[in-house]
Amino acid sequence: MEKRLNADTAKSLGRALTREYSFVLSFILLVVIGACVNKNFFSWSNVSNLFVQGSMIGLIALGMTMVIGAGLIDISVGSQVAIIGGFGIWVLNATGSIFVMLLFCIAFGLVIGAVNGLLVTKGGMPAMVATLASMSACRAIVNYYGAAGPFTVDRELYDRFRQLAVGGIQIGPDFKIPYLMIIFIVAVIIFDIVMKKTKLGKHIFAVGSNEKSARLSGINVDGVKIITYMVTGAMCGIASLLYASRMTAVAAASAAMSWEMDAIAAVAIGGTSMSGGRGKIMGTFLGVLMFKIISNILTAANVSSYLNGAISAAIIVLAVLMQNFQNKRR
Amino acid sequence: MRLEMKNIVMEFGPVRAVDDVDLTVEPGQIVGLLGENGAGKSTLMNVLAGVYAPVSGKILINGKETVMKGVRTADQCGIRFIHQELNLCNDLRVYENMFLGNEISKRGAFLDKTAMIEKCLEVFRRMKVDIDPNAIVDHLSAAEKQMVEIGRALLFRSELIIMDEPSTALATEEIENLFEIMRQLKGEGVSFIYISHKMPELFEICDVYYILCDGRLVSHGNFKDINEEQVTEMMIGHNLRTDEFENHVCQATEEVCLSVRGVSSGVLKDLSFELHRGEILAVTGLQGSGRDTLADVLFGVVPYTGEVYVEGNRMPNKARDRSVRYFMKHRVGMVPRSRPERGIHNDLSVQDNLSMGYLNAKQKKPFIDAKEEAQRFARQQKAMAIKVGSPKYPITSLSGGNQQKVILGKWLETDADVLILDNPTQGIDVGTKFEIYHLILRLAKAGKAIIMFSAEFPEIRNVADSCIVLYKGMCNARLGREDLTEKNIMYYSTGANLEGLKDGKTTEC
Repeated sequence: MEKRLNADTAKSLGRALTREYSFVLSFILLVVIGACVNKNFFSWSNVSNLFVQGSMIGLIALGMTMVIGAGLIDISVGSQVAIIGGFGIWVLNATGSIFVMLLFCIAFGLVIGAVNGLLVTKGGMPAMVATLASMSACRAIVNYYGAAGPFTVDRELYDRFRQLAVGGIQIGPDFKIPYLMIIFIVAVIIFDIVMKKTKLGKHIFAVGSNEKSARLSGINVDGVKIITYMVTGAMCGIASLLYASRMTAVAAASAAMSWEMDAIAAVAIGGTSMSGGRGKIMGTFLGVLMFKIISNILTAANVSSYLNGAISAAIIVLAVLMQNFQNKRR
Repeated sequence: MRLEMKNIVMEFGPVRAVDDVDLTVEPGQIVGLLGENGAGKSTLMNVLAGVYAPVSGKILINGKETVMKGVRTADQCGIRFIHQELNLCNDLRVYENMFLGNEISKRGAFLDKTAMIEKCLEVFRRMKVDIDPNAIVDHLSAAEKQMVEIGRALLFRSELIIMDEPSTALATEEIENLFEIMRQLKGEGVSFIYISHKMPELFEICDVYYILCDGRLVSHGNFKDINEEQVTEMMIGHNLRTDEFENHVCQATEEVCLSVRGVSSGVLKDLSFELHRGEILAVTGLQGSGRDTLADVLFGVVPYTGEVYVEGNRMPNKARDRSVRYFMKHRVGMVPRSRPERGIHNDLSVQDNLSMGYLNAKQKKPFIDAKEEAQRFARQQKAMAIKVGSPKYPITSLSGGNQQKVILGKWLETDADVLILDNPTQGIDVGTKFEIYHLILRLAKAGKAIIMFSAEFPEIRNVADSCIVLYKGMCNARLGREDLTEKNIMYYSTGANLEGLKDGKTTEC
């Protein structure tokens, strides 16, 4: 008995190290490659640029970590960004207030998330099917209202609104911390605390790990699932505001196209188990950065941006194959 | 077919599940394989059926050494393992199940339904059973499903059929019928390995016995040379340490902790009983007697009609996630059956698994305090001697017994007063089993009210103050400690006392 335990614990410690922190190893590897390809890799402009580029996908990926952690999936996030962003610009133009637009975007995201969650829990639909339906519906509705042309921010609001995406806190002459970077990092910290230090975080992984057992521990399984979708919806709302600010227009048919793939890819390389139960916000954080480093390397290597989807697909497949391989070993 | 297994050794990590076991089956012989749970019976049979590759040892079929590369090889050798939980696809028809994976087709592509049905009928005629090959398996009774499995074995000319506790789901006359078929097939040269815990059956149907204890073969010979007592002694071996359990004193007080009044749900019909503080009440019954349902009712997992009171508070009777929490808040805790599926969170650490109850029932602060978590774990680890490398390791790194202690600790941390233990020693090695029994007695002494669901007589005998025997969803008897014998439990759980009674009247609990 005693012997078996010692052997087991030694083994599981080794396994935990390779399994739980493998995303750190891949991150270091990618940084090294990035530094070789790009001489200015560690320059502040490059680093902050990575964060800015990753921030929107990153916010969504944080919500997606919860959804996937609970053993679900949400493939409607790209369409959610498009519809919330499009309608959000209407709200902005009508009220002239960025704050009202923010409230609207978050509320709209919560509603879409709640619908997704209800379809999955009370409707008993597979997560893939339910969110496929809302993906299609959201995109179709925004296309319908955007048929006459893209949703565009009014001229007089333009400069003020755009500051959000391009502005930042100026610290030195060549040192500006972009707002997007700050928003992303703050969100990462909040999510990390929620997942590690609150009931909700523990419950999400408990549900993703074993639903029956979670139910028998008194966890409101349906409630937890609905919350993960609503959080993801809210994050889509915030991301869509940032997107609208960056582009100052939302083209219904192409806005945030296939962001679901990018967000899922970031979560996957971050080491979150695709079947739920295990994951880390820090993993997703590094996953988002890795994802952006990869695309930067490929851009530097002149790979066509048409291949982006194939790259996300390759990342997901590789990450999940690695997870499966690790699971088999354990 | 003559089968010889020689010096079979099977290890899981450092644990020897089967240790140097020999077993021989002659053509047309029925071998009874006996042993307590965890003695290595299933492992040995899984080696034979090609599920596990043994560490060492040989399997000889008709004198020729055969390496079982997988279930397929075993199939080709004519060995068929009928598992306790039958391997049938409930949504498919009988004939489709019989030919699953070996379908007959015509012109190379299309399924030949007529030929398959014809063959099924042929087999069923040989077995003298009347099952419609076109019926959906889901609509069959447990006994008929058993017959379909046997039919499937015969269809592919199996010469050795392994049956793992086939009788648990069967009524008395169905068992008789099964034996009839077994005898008939035996006459045709088919051999059986029959795994069961029920002595009378073994003595009735089997020719020779093999007794395993802790992975070793302790004895084998002819059934006609021994009696039930001798078998039991050999099976339990050195673990016969029941004295202190024999003499344990009932700690029940006057205070009623749990009161069940007229509860019906699924098969359960109008059940009423009370559980006092300090009392250990066992509930037993065959598969399908409503034992599992009752456990779930008492924790708000399935809906019911009637009333359940915990310390005077009426419990909700709808099954929502909220109801489980309601029970928890009123100090009820449940160690569920089927631990891997219902009890533990594989992906989570030992400590997180232990915290899961407290977080839901008692945590008030918005953030989880890591220090308190560690203290809670340390407290239970000390109280129950949980063997663990670090509380941060995944729960799967623990042995079954230690996992079970963690789950028990989870409820003790919620200060549960009423503990529902549903099959608490399932898949636990013998040594730890006794530790768990000690714990149960200690908890009762400390004033917990304990209701234990179990199908294992020795376990009931060891800890229970009294025992409710369920039969077809009704309380057929409530036996006090003095009446707690295996015979009595068998008698009431098979409904033998009701034979001849048409109105199905039962005794009051």
